[in-house]
Amino acid sequence: MDFKCSASDLASLANSTAPGSDNALLATFLCGRFDAISDKFADTAHAVDSTYLLFSAYLVFSMQLGFAMLCAGSVRAKNTMNIMLTNVLDAAAGGLSYYLFGFAFAFGSPSNGFVGRHFFGLKKVPSASVDYSFFLYQWAFAIAAAGITSGSIAERTQFVAYLIYSSFLTGFVYPITSHWFWSGDGWASPSRSDGNLLFGSGAIDFAGSGVVHMVGGIAGFWGALIEGPRIGRFDQAGRVVALRGHSASLVVLGSFLLWFGWYGFNPGSFLTILKTYDGASGGFYGQWSAVGRTAVTTTLAGSTAALTTLFSKRLLVGHWNVTDVCNGLLGGFAAITSGCSVVDPWAAIVCGFVSAWVLIGCNKLAELAKFDDPLEAAQLHGGCGAWGLIFTGLFARRRYVDEVYGGSGRRYGWFVGGDGRLLAAQVVEVLAIAGWVTATMGPLFYGLHRLELLRVSGDDEKEGMDLTRHGGLAYVYHDDGGGDRPNIIAPDGRRVEPTDRSPAPNADDRNGTPAV
Amino acid sequence: MEASWEASVTDSINTIYLLFSAYLVFVMQLGFAMLCAGSVQAKNAMNIMLTNVVDAVVGSISYYLFGFAFAFGDGSGSNPFIGTSFFALKDIPSSTYDYSYFLYQWAFAIAVAGITSGSIAERTQFSAYLVFSFFLTGFVYPIVAHWVWSSSGWLSPSSSDLLFGSGAIDFAGSGVVHLVGGIAGLWGSLIEGPRAGRFDAFGKPVLMRGHNATLVVLGTFLLWFGWFGFNPGSFDKILVSYPTTSDQGNWTAIGRTAVTTTLAGSTAGLVTLFGRRLLVGHWDALDVCNGLLGGFVAITSGCSVVDPWAAIICGFVSAWVLIGLNIVALKLRFDDPLEATQLHGGCGAWGLIFTGLFAKEEFVIQAYDSGESGVSRPYGLFMGGGWALLGAQVVEVLAIVGWVSATMGPLFYALHKLNILRISVEEELAGLDISSHGGYAYTGHAEESRPRFYADYVRLQDQS
Repeated sequence: MDFKCSASDLASLANSTAPGSDNALLATFLCGRFDAISDKFADTAHAVDSTYLLFSAYLVFSMQLGFAMLCAGSVRAKNTMNIMLTNVLDAAAGGLSYYLFGFAFAFGSPSNGFVGRHFFGLKKVPSASVDYSFFLYQWAFAIAAAGITSGSIAERTQFVAYLIYSSFLTGFVYPITSHWFWSGDGWASPSRSDGNLLFGSGAIDFAGSGVVHMVGGIAGFWGALIEGPRIGRFDQAGRVVALRGHSASLVVLGSFLLWFGWYGFNPGSFLTILKTYDGASGGFYGQWSAVGRTAVTTTLAGSTAALTTLFSKRLLVGHWNVTDVCNGLLGGFAAITSGCSVVDPWAAIVCGFVSAWVLIGCNKLAELAKFDDPLEAAQLHGGCGAWGLIFTGLFARRRYVDEVYGGSGRRYGWFVGGDGRLLAAQVVEVLAIAGWVTATMGPLFYGLHRLELLRVSGDDEKEGMDLTRHGGLAYVYHDDGGGDRPNIIAPDGRRVEPTDRSPAPNADDRNGTPAV
Repeated sequence: MEASWEASVTDSINTIYLLFSAYLVFVMQLGFAMLCAGSVQAKNAMNIMLTNVVDAVVGSISYYLFGFAFAFGDGSGSNPFIGTSFFALKDIPSSTYDYSYFLYQWAFAIAVAGITSGSIAERTQFSAYLVFSFFLTGFVYPIVAHWVWSSSGWLSPSSSDLLFGSGAIDFAGSGVVHLVGGIAGLWGSLIEGPRAGRFDAFGKPVLMRGHNATLVVLGTFLLWFGWFGFNPGSFDKILVSYPTTSDQGNWTAIGRTAVTTTLAGSTAGLVTLFGRRLLVGHWDALDVCNGLLGGFVAITSGCSVVDPWAAIICGFVSAWVLIGLNIVALKLRFDDPLEATQLHGGCGAWGLIFTGLFAKEEFVIQAYDSGESGVSRPYGLFMGGGWALLGAQVVEVLAIVGWVSATMGPLFYALHKLNILRISVEEELAGLDISSHGGYAYTGHAEESRPRFYADYVRLQDQS
């Protein structure tokens, strides 16, 4: 329907015999037309916002692939199938558990400050507050958290233990945490609907430095601690032995895919894009600007962290190391995730700079404490995630906090003119998450350990889990041969001898480093 | 006369949505290339990847010149069997179709030939490949698309003369894309016979492993990612409001479609994990990947018209369909290196039947009547909707199997009789890469004497 307007539209009213004055008729007519237009705008906004949120969700989902590749490249070839299977299952098992009850625990309002209690199995969705696109977006986040932990316990964990901790983390521990900081009911949420904000502020964790990264990192910390280091990681004298990943190309591929996906993770957390600020329509500034700014802060934090890592490691170890730079990059992203929407771009540079040193420092501590995390996940996601929360308490800009979270008189960063309340709330978040995840995942891993379900046997670990538990190695670059030639039968039944042109089977190749 | 501002906004939003969905479907081409590469032996990696690249480029030309016309041509000569206008995109953009729609459909078309290439991998002459790919993407597939997706097609749920008063619901193509690709692969693979060495003298299967599981997982995840364009994107327009609701429209159904897609694949993956653990005794990543993809293939037909809980059932059954068909294939000594026939053909057919059982009337009306009120449609048998829809679904399965067999069967047979289908056994043992593509994909190992780590390098420098 096109909206045309002309004097002849009113002509029919002039001749009407309906009761009521001309003014009333005119008003009714005009109001009816405006209502129709307003409804159309509402529809348009829904379509625009859904497109935005859905495509952001797809981007966050692609981080699952990025993490799978990062993990694969960072472990030894003999454990590749195992770690990739864990990543595939995070997504699949997480899909079911988050649909059945995880989403409800996280966002099932109205409820209480601790846990949600509606929307189990997406009952009553879509509602006025929750649509499918929101569920899909949150699902993509939930599966990311479980992926992080799998990195800490890679190369030595039984698959059954993995299934158990992953379902528990994605279906219970993580959703409860997200309820506290992201739900309208959460006790520490800055959007708490009853106005009872923690320290008059609430903790700002926009896309989850704490809720996602710290949760995954602290869980990984306990798993790796309880399991102990990989065989051969620390020698008799206690020195560190590098257990290099088998493919730097995969590490880089994964890092870039994670970077790509972060553009859904951070800016997408606005959920909607079609919104004006200051109630002023018709201007150029609105939520779309904040979305763009968030993409910029994300980019700058990661880039700065990567560069800082590049030069620091050159000083510390004497060469330019790409895998360290990739990890530094990801640490920068993990850190900015908390305050990406509420800080200035220049502040994001500070965030990235510090996060690089946090990661280097945490890695040094891990070495000294004989803590082995094949993906540095606890140090990166736990350490840089915690720094990210503190950073937000220091640098959050007042104007941005008001725009993003609404209202006025909100608390903001200590270094940019605010008082310490926001910072205090951030510290509470760090402690609450560390405490909650320790209290849930610590006993879980310990219980699995006591039941001898956690770590694989020494023989399995030396042989590699792909061979012992996953049906075979990931890489088979030459025809099966070993010592003798295979019995090759052509389709017409005759036996065939391989010719000189076949690549010679090499029995040693089974553990060789592949080209990818 | 210039378009009204309001129409401009609507069209812009819808075009952004459709174009980005098309780009996502295109990413599936990369995903399938990686899946294929990882699933074949190293000596055939170049070959299979080239076939995937060629699918895209050959398909672009044939689909542009006449494929799209056969599929969606709706001019005065339109009939229920084949389209007759829009050759080389003449008269596009029209009031019904814009370039974005062509690109979206193109992305689907190039996917079909990729499926078939998996079935005949590792033993097919490249020239045979070019012939069948051109014919499948340019003719066989578009005709099926016309039947189901063009408003004049005889199976279409948008036609004015609905089959059984219903039309067949194949929203994003379990039948049109997956069953077509799978049945074509069935004939190619059957006529060619199994790979050399696949079955020993006693008929027992010999494991021929793919060379790189990382590529298989990479490919699977990229396909999953792209499926978010494949299924929800098939709504074509996102800005369509449903008149019987206050704030729902295609944007709601699109979100729901993304959710059903996710749940079907996830369930299928999980069931395959545990199913194969029981059957073979270990946790198999590659089987889980295939199981996942089978779940996606199955839900593709009914993704927009079923509840999320029904999608879980779809995925659950599709995992067993795939496992079962794989066992049958081994017994019949049928060799499909990518399990493409079993996955795309078998799970695709199940997906069509599933829709006939679980489609919900409210969602069918949303998908095919834009949520109009006062309309009624046949829907899923198990939901109380009668037999009309299920009947139409069965007709679609039979029609596709019949048509693809009648076209691709003779084509493969003719290529076989002319000796241009399968390569020689010597070439097969040496590998297609070295015999037909100029050399191996992988150049072998570094010499052992060169230093591999920085510390060794520094030590060497110090010594000199």
